[in-house]
Amino acid sequence: MNYPFWDVPVAYGVLMAVIAVFHVFVSHFAIGGGLYLVVSEQLARKAGDTRRLEFLEKLSKFFVLVTLVAGALTGVGIWFIIGLIAPTATEALIHNYVWGWATEWTFFVVEIAAAMIYFYGWKTMTPRAHVTVGWIYFVFAWLSLFVINGIVTFMLTPGQWLATGDFWDGFFNPTFWPSLVLRTGVCVMLAGLYALLVASRCEVGAFKARTVRYSAGWGVAGLAVTALCQYWYWKAIPAAVTAKALQTMPTPICSMEISAWLAAGIGALLVVFGLLAPRKLGFGAAAALMVLGLAWFGAFEWFRESIRKPYILAGYIYGNGAEVAETANYKKNGYLAQMAFKTGDDGADLFRHACRSCHTLDGYKALKPAFDGTDRAFIAAIVRATHLLRGNMPPFLGTTAEADKIADHLGHHTDRRPLAEIYKLEGVELGRKAYAIRCGKCHVIGAASDKSKSFAGQSADDLNSLLNSAADMGEGMPAYTGDATERKALVAFLQTLGKGGQK
Amino acid sequence: MNLPDYQFISAPLWLVTLLHLLTFTLHLMAMNFLLGGVIITLLSSARKRWDDATAVKFARLFPAATAATVTLGVAPLLFLQLVYPRQVYAAAIVSGWFWLGVIAAVIVAYYALYRASFAGHRTGRAGDAVLLLALVGLLYVSLVYSSVFSMAEQPALAHDLYAKDQSGLVWNPAVGDYALRWLHMVLGALTVGGFFVGLLGRNDVEVFATGKRFFIGGMVAAALAGMVYLMSLEQLIGAFMRTPAIWALTASVALSLVSLHFFVRKNFWLSGVTLFLSVMGMVYARHTVRLLRLAGQFDPASWRVAPQWSPLLMFLACFVVMLIVLVWMLRMFFGAKKSAA
Repeated sequence: MNYPFWDVPVAYGVLMAVIAVFHVFVSHFAIGGGLYLVVSEQLARKAGDTRRLEFLEKLSKFFVLVTLVAGALTGVGIWFIIGLIAPTATEALIHNYVWGWATEWTFFVVEIAAAMIYFYGWKTMTPRAHVTVGWIYFVFAWLSLFVINGIVTFMLTPGQWLATGDFWDGFFNPTFWPSLVLRTGVCVMLAGLYALLVASRCEVGAFKARTVRYSAGWGVAGLAVTALCQYWYWKAIPAAVTAKALQTMPTPICSMEISAWLAAGIGALLVVFGLLAPRKLGFGAAAALMVLGLAWFGAFEWFRESIRKPYILAGYIYGNGAEVAETANYKKNGYLAQMAFKTGDDGADLFRHACRSCHTLDGYKALKPAFDGTDRAFIAAIVRATHLLRGNMPPFLGTTAEADKIADHLGHHTDRRPLAEIYKLEGVELGRKAYAIRCGKCHVIGAASDKSKSFAGQSADDLNSLLNSAADMGEGMPAYTGDATERKALVAFLQTLGKGGQK
Repeated sequence: MNLPDYQFISAPLWLVTLLHLLTFTLHLMAMNFLLGGVIITLLSSARKRWDDATAVKFARLFPAATAATVTLGVAPLLFLQLVYPRQVYAAAIVSGWFWLGVIAAVIVAYYALYRASFAGHRTGRAGDAVLLLALVGLLYVSLVYSSVFSMAEQPALAHDLYAKDQSGLVWNPAVGDYALRWLHMVLGALTVGGFFVGLLGRNDVEVFATGKRFFIGGMVAAALAGMVYLMSLEQLIGAFMRTPAIWALTASVALSLVSLHFFVRKNFWLSGVTLFLSVMGMVYARHTVRLLRLAGQFDPASWRVAPQWSPLLMFLACFVVMLIVLVWMLRMFFGAKKSAA
């Protein structure tokens, strides 16, 4: 609440993903690629394989152009974007880990210098010195990963740090080691994939076959380590978090499933085109491998980001920037009293700071369609109960009056006509829509919060009574405020649920 | 549970400030070589003062200069965010899209410089058009930085601008506040760029003369712009005169003249050292101006200091290792180049 809010039409998650996924993809390649280059150079020099040395020199040009420019600058880009979209969390991270980042910077300086010297030194340096610089590059690049891994994993599993505030407790947190080994595996896999892309352009023949097979070996080895570590990583996340995810958070679970399928796709392509028919590896297949690799990394990072909900720093700062330690203060004095930057429109300011970092009005995770056809009282009740909704959202910690102001703001932007008129629906279909808007925010059919079985054998009168007493049925339940047509349709739909049909 | 507080700095303020100013000076040296070097190369090429081979020789250095500029820019940005997060993030958010555009501009400039470098290698010509594109990118970055960091020193302005527009498409309208500061920085880049051009072209009469021209001309122009900027601060001048920064600034001016003296005598080692110290003195003066502008609104000394000694020692040890490894690698590289030649 100490900062202004960057109110952009693009969702924060999407902005972050665009920069961060690209960066992690390139930066992991930057580490694995360094290892690939120096190990391969050593082998080639030992064997007197000049053709391979020429290939490696070519690969190192591609490597320098991709890693030094796009990799390094998108890394700086992450700094820029997190300061814009999550300034409070960034401030907290910097205050706790400034010496971690400063240490990483020393590794980064050596890494960049070594990469340039390695690239420009092919023709002038002695083989021994050149190989040594190659190893220096790899070691410092990996050390850079070592440090950043400690900070990134801290965000999900701060461990004992929440009690002690000690640098090292947070750094060597529960997911530190599985994540480090997993990411090292990813580095090796990506090195293989990038080398395959360059090798795919080689003239078909024995050299191409052995280079492709060799590079595919890197891909397969890295993939195997990654796959095993993904399970280790999952088990290292506190059981309460994973259990909650399985119950109420479709995004991380879906991301994990997608990443498993993508890994299978990468494995299949590597075996077929890399190991079994290396001469047939064309640019298309190699590019497909790269795309799959990028998609896999995107899915994994999406999993890591989304399973952290409702926090941005687990147990410490919520996704919307509200600080856990300030809970009592927010509840007593409200959000507005803490806001350093205001626009004069309280409803809009509250909406921005409480909701807008994840939701837009009518774009990504849109709230307008979620509240069209409802009223201020219903919206306010939902705002007050965000922590009970599906998706593991942050709680609303402001005052009741502030929830009403958000409801006013949202109500101003939503369509207040009856649902039947907005969507031109009637009967059970109208009831299904009413259920999605009025009930489905918590009670997802088929999920743990599904109450449809309790409707079995209930008459329309029973269900009407149920709707009448909705507000008294439990924490966060809003009163039912739909009109008569909507109510009738909803009851009809609930009856179909009670019969176990039309889900 | 009592959660840990993050409102602290994890080392004594003087140490953080020293590291901030030192790394920022290093960043400025690299940036000045890059920005000044690109401008000088373009101008010398356009005026036919240099042959193609000379322009190519400089163009080939720019990617490494960019890498150094970016890499050395990370550390001061980190320390700046550590001490002034509220001011810097607020200003960056108000101008969010322009701020984010810095990354795109540097990527374009970086690839353009690589293209110029590789093109020169193949064709013998540096490619003025791509160098010009790189220059546009670099100037964009410099303007955004001047605009945002100037706004960061005026919290009230950031509040007013945000109240009117939250889209992140707000450019700091107080142009008079930072135009001279920006001009001083660009002219300073020409000065330091002139030094590096003279250093690298010391065996070529025309190139050395070009370097000298820009070193002297840039220094005079930058001093004038800096003086006018200082005058424009009006009510702050009195306070500035009462700080040690006035002595640092005076020493900087003297040191730049000493640097010029050694430069003309082609004693580049002493010239470089005095130039570096001169820039560092100006960085200190600049830091003092920031504190004066923020006075009454924010004082870095108000941070609670809770040192994290072991991580700090880890950093210092790694810093030393970094220097050793860098020196070793550079000796290997340039030693090999010398023997190859």
